[in-house]
Amino acid sequence: MRHYLSGLAAGLALFLISTCGANAAASCGTDGSEAATGEPIVIGAITGKTGPDDFSNSTKAAKAYFDCLNAKGGIHGRPVKYLIEDDQWNPETAAQLAAKLVNDEKAVLMVGNSSFVECGANADFYKKSGIVVVAGVGVPRECFFAENYAATNAGPRASMLGAMGYALDQLKAKSVVCIGPNIPNVGTWSCDGIALLAKEKGFVAETILMDPGTADSTSTILQAAASKPDVIILGLPKGVTIPLLTAAEEQGLNQTVKFLSAASAYDLSVPGTIGPGWDGNFYVNMEFNDLEATTPDNQNWLAVMNEYGQTSDPRDTFAQAGYLAARIAEKALMSLDPKDVTRESTSAAIRQVKGFTSDIFCAPWYFGDSQPRHNANSTTRMAVSEGGKWKVISDCAPSPDPELADIRAFEKSIGLAP
Amino acid sequence: MTYLPFLISGLGIGAVYALSGVGLVVLFRATGVLNFAFGAVGALGAHVAWQMLEWRLPLAIAILAAVVVSALVSFLYGRLLAPLLSRRDTVVRAVGTLALALVLIAVMGVIWGEFPRRLQFPTDQMFLTVFGVRLTYTRILALLLAGLMVGAITALLSRTRLGLDMRALANDRDLSAILGVRIRHTETAAWVITGVFAGLAGLLLGDLVRLQGTFLTFLVIPAIAAAILGQLRSLWITATGGLAIGIAEAVLTPIAAISPYRAAAPFVIALIAVAILGSTAQAGLKDR
Amino acid sequence: MVSPMTASFPATAAARTLSGQILAIPMTVAIFSGAIALFANSFWLSAATSAIALSLSVAGLAILYGQLGLVSLCQFALVGVGGWVTLRVGHAFHPPFEVSLLAGGIVAAVVGLAFGLPALRLRGLYLALVTLMLAGAFQIIISAWGFPDGGSGFLGRADGAGRAMLSRPSIAGEAIPYFLYVNVFAALGLMIAQWHKLARPGRAWALIRKGETVAISAGVPVLVYKAWAFALSGFLAGIAGALLAGNVGQLDGRAFTSFESLNLFALAVVGGVYNWYGALIAGLLLRAIPALLTDLGIDGYVTIGIFGLALFQALATAPSGVAGQISGLLNRLRAHLGKSGAE
Repeated sequence: MRHYLSGLAAGLALFLISTCGANAAASCGTDGSEAATGEPIVIGAITGKTGPDDFSNSTKAAKAYFDCLNAKGGIHGRPVKYLIEDDQWNPETAAQLAAKLVNDEKAVLMVGNSSFVECGANADFYKKSGIVVVAGVGVPRECFFAENYAATNAGPRASMLGAMGYALDQLKAKSVVCIGPNIPNVGTWSCDGIALLAKEKGFVAETILMDPGTADSTSTILQAAASKPDVIILGLPKGVTIPLLTAAEEQGLNQTVKFLSAASAYDLSVPGTIGPGWDGNFYVNMEFNDLEATTPDNQNWLAVMNEYGQTSDPRDTFAQAGYLAARIAEKALMSLDPKDVTRESTSAAIRQVKGFTSDIFCAPWYFGDSQPRHNANSTTRMAVSEGGKWKVISDCAPSPDPELADIRAFEKSIGLAP
Repeated sequence: MTYLPFLISGLGIGAVYALSGVGLVVLFRATGVLNFAFGAVGALGAHVAWQMLEWRLPLAIAILAAVVVSALVSFLYGRLLAPLLSRRDTVVRAVGTLALALVLIAVMGVIWGEFPRRLQFPTDQMFLTVFGVRLTYTRILALLLAGLMVGAITALLSRTRLGLDMRALANDRDLSAILGVRIRHTETAAWVITGVFAGLAGLLLGDLVRLQGTFLTFLVIPAIAAAILGQLRSLWITATGGLAIGIAEAVLTPIAAISPYRAAAPFVIALIAVAILGSTAQAGLKDR
Repeated sequence: MVSPMTASFPATAAARTLSGQILAIPMTVAIFSGAIALFANSFWLSAATSAIALSLSVAGLAILYGQLGLVSLCQFALVGVGGWVTLRVGHAFHPPFEVSLLAGGIVAAVVGLAFGLPALRLRGLYLALVTLMLAGAFQIIISAWGFPDGGSGFLGRADGAGRAMLSRPSIAGEAIPYFLYVNVFAALGLMIAQWHKLARPGRAWALIRKGETVAISAGVPVLVYKAWAFALSGFLAGIAGALLAGNVGQLDGRAFTSFESLNLFALAVVGGVYNWYGALIAGLLLRAIPALLTDLGIDGYVTIGIFGLALFQALATAPSGVAGQISGLLNRLRAHLGKSGAE
């Protein structure tokens, strides 16, 4: 135990030296010299922490950013009071917590939400209450088909089709098997996208839906391999992705078929967990920039995490999403008269966000005022597992999802896309 | 599409269901408690093994630690807490173990969190090829272990004094007490045995499936299906039933209409079995 | 077995006690709901609405376990069935909420009866495990189907557009009126359950519990009364599911695991299955205690652990549940008052 701890401490020290040495200090808001002391602005967040997976890194990063902001002058002197609630992966709890944050705590805005169940349970409530959500990570379809809900991430479908685009262009795939969970609005939604694209572009696609609770991954993999596809593309939570890859490796498929995954598997621990057998054979889509990118905003994110986050907070793609959500909220709030920060004025300001640039995004982020749905982030990169790490292997490319037609048309109409 | 490869792929999980089912039945026969915490106890052991391997301790120590921890938790519950409920309904006594499961979920959640982890054994890399499917040595080991453990328990029950006491308890509890069977002692032994089974099953599941506290805890429910097939009495039928359930779940994979629902196979098989065996089961399973 | 409270009263007072006991339900619920509606904020109102709705499904369990000694570990699945049918009917025909609610209750009653069929032959733990298998199978199916959200087809899944929400009854659109509305149904449901326990069916059930041969020789149609208990229990669960669906406007397939059914039974035992208010207590334990811990900002896993410890503590120290302890306290109080009044 002691040995372990000392090793951890040494590693941490090295990490701190290496990162702090290279970085400037964290920059937030107006970078004022005094902490904000005015009347707090209440911002809420709902995240899925306890349950099948831990999504709370998004809100942890947003919290770090708001702490930084508060220490450096806040929103024109007013600090942000950031309230995070854990929905425990239960839609009923999610609804209760939304009522608490919106009605009882009188939040003016929701920022950094990242939950598997929250969008479906609360999207309607948010719309009725006139509150806007700048989410961190949205997963099911409901997160991308709601009027008051805009996520900073691309979502599993756009991400999966981003991976498919790479398979078509770079891996020259002619046939694909898509494996998704048999949960409505998640697995079917993503794999339907692959099937739609297959019809459009003329390649062979097959869909396998599996119960994410099954203990038998080998059979799913055998079923996928039976049609001898060029690539197998996964749209599953990382907890389910790893046993599938393990089973595939057992069957030697890592040598014969290329595996790709939506961004859900883009986690720093994954390449190490799946091991060297997957070097150069497991590709993953990235909704954001490389976690170790030396670009200014990415470095600022890391600096904020180092100065205001816990050392145990993971520096992962969820954290990037939460950081971006917090920055977008800050930008909108800064445009307001600090004496008039209400739910109405905040919502209006968020709706006006357009052309928010960060090097963590591939393309500028916008809310999309008056649009019935929001999916601003639909341009993604790819990485491959190599030597226990992810190696970025592609430039930003727009997701070829046919369903994004309305989004693309809107982007054209406001002059964001050519 | 041929079904043979799926038959092979179902063997691994089937072996674990068999092992878990037998672990449940051994305890139930001796104490009348159905252990809902079986999966959680095993998961705790598997997490301990994972932690040991992270600390670069040898595999043998990690495996031993896992089994010891599982047996210890099971022993402590059986010795200290289970007797508090011993005069209550069978169902209430089973529900008591649900409390243990919840506490263990909490312990694992706080210490390890929900991360996708993987236990790896050297036997994962070695395999035989059968019907075009690779059968890893871990799976073969799981099968052997299941057979070995059932054999060992059967021998224990039929050859030793402890086994005789256990069978006596299973037969008539009050009469056994009058005849001088050391009830507390015998029950505790059964709890330790079930803990060992849980530890081994947890290790195998951590390797074959995934190492995740809540997930492994809930896997007790399909294992109960295997125990139902054995009518909560017969060890060999439970073991065979567990294997059959694992294989059935796998073999349903290529049938497109059923494939997304195949995880329901254990439950459906158990229900069909009850429908057929119902009348005989009634005789065997009077209220304790 | 009739509740210990009534058993201690002289037979002449039985009729008075019956109406008195049943009338105690709406009075208690009215006081409780009034207090909550006045003082609770949105968060607590939402938690209390779920708690009251779920207490109905516990009342169903209490009939099976408390009256007949039968254990059902698929009650939460039946809540899901009721919710599913309510949403399905509501989205397909847009009838008044009460119609969808009744449909949910009736279908859940039929399914509950079907689930109870094995019980006509099985008892004890074996029956419990069979129902657990049913809950397991339901979990797989409902997580794959999901709940209807305004789409077409049998499954009613919306594709391509946002999900539709089931609208609440027109007289109770807002949170407080809906909470009171749920309370009215809960009071009605509990009264129906209590009437069953105290009147003819209760006596038949008590006989059946004593021994089926005894019941048969006393001329009780055993099968009919057993089946009726399962149907009634399913009906109450279905109504609970419908009320839950109305609370949020929709339900999620992943929330109906077999472990939830186990949990529901565990808390029914902790709440107490021999007194009608045991169901209310169980409902509060199921939803209000976790809400309290969440509100205090306690980690989700720690909450689960506290829950586990409390569950064991309650099982070990209160065999007839919290309600049994309250009832004992009331009886002692009453005896004490009676004594001092006689002096």
